[in-house]
Amino acid sequence: MSKRHIPESHTAHPNVTPLIDIIMCLIIFFMLVAKIGVTTGAEEIKIPKTIYGTKISDMGNTLTLNIPDASNNISSDMPTVRALVAHSKDETPVMQTLPLLDSSGQNQLLITLEYYKQQFADFKVIIRADGEQNWRAIQPVLLTINQAGVRNVFYNTEQEK
Amino acid sequence: MKMKGAKQVHYDAGPNMTPLVDVVMVILIFLMLAGNFGDVEHYLASSVPIREKGVPVKDQVIPDDVELKIRVDSSGDRFIARLEGDERTFVDPKDLRDLLSGKLQGYLDKAINPDKIQVLISPGGFVKYNYIIQIYDAVLEASGTSAGKEIHFTKVAFEQAH
Repeated sequence: MSKRHIPESHTAHPNVTPLIDIIMCLIIFFMLVAKIGVTTGAEEIKIPKTIYGTKISDMGNTLTLNIPDASNNISSDMPTVRALVAHSKDETPVMQTLPLLDSSGQNQLLITLEYYKQQFADFKVIIRADGEQNWRAIQPVLLTINQAGVRNVFYNTEQEK
Repeated sequence: MKMKGAKQVHYDAGPNMTPLVDVVMVILIFLMLAGNFGDVEHYLASSVPIREKGVPVKDQVIPDDVELKIRVDSSGDRFIARLEGDERTFVDPKDLRDLLSGKLQGYLDKAINPDKIQVLISPGGFVKYNYIIQIYDAVLEASGTSAGKEIHFTKVAFEQAH
């Protein structure tokens, strides 16, 4: 009686699993790094929805001004403006509140905008404001932008589906 | 008698699913990230932040172009828009868009360059930012045709609250 043998397997193709693993790690790494690299300091705000709008290709010379709804803030008529700001080229940008009138009577938003305008030739400001606010809360910010001599203003909106 | 040890054998019981799972996972992660942070946002561009009141026209950043002023007021949970020099009022941005399209076509028929037309949105202090942006959107959506090309307003700005 002849014995039956289980045949040995011969894998002729290369094992691509480690290659795919490495590629996957690289893709995830680059995706995460790319996101961190272009962070604009945009906060979670209920921005208005619009049909029209343009894209900004170069976010490098922009400053995003977050204006959350401050209607519950009865202590001040001034809007709360928050932005990711670095006061020198070597400084890591930090999220800061930029008061339009601080305790020493200075307009910190104006000072910041003037500094950025000096640093970047084609400086742009992005307004990211809560849609439920009244115009009078946004207006002082625009007047400060005017005062700083910034001409390129972009209103951040959500694409209407 | 010397017994022969069993040979080590390798079974391929089916196709190797690992690379497939890896690729699917990569696609899944990509889609999850793209879904969260994809370009669902865009921007309304303006070359002038705001036109200030009480400042002489020569000192304003807005040049002395053809001016089209839209007055926006708040009325409870909605807005009322009116074009300066026109008695009609609008509560729907689409109606305002149609009126502006007609105006733009009129200017184009008179061979006025659209770059010379300045649209000014003049909101009241208590008008919600949402409504003002809706008006802005209606202005950008308004269109006319010239030499077979669709033309839109290019210069839109705000005015200090009335």
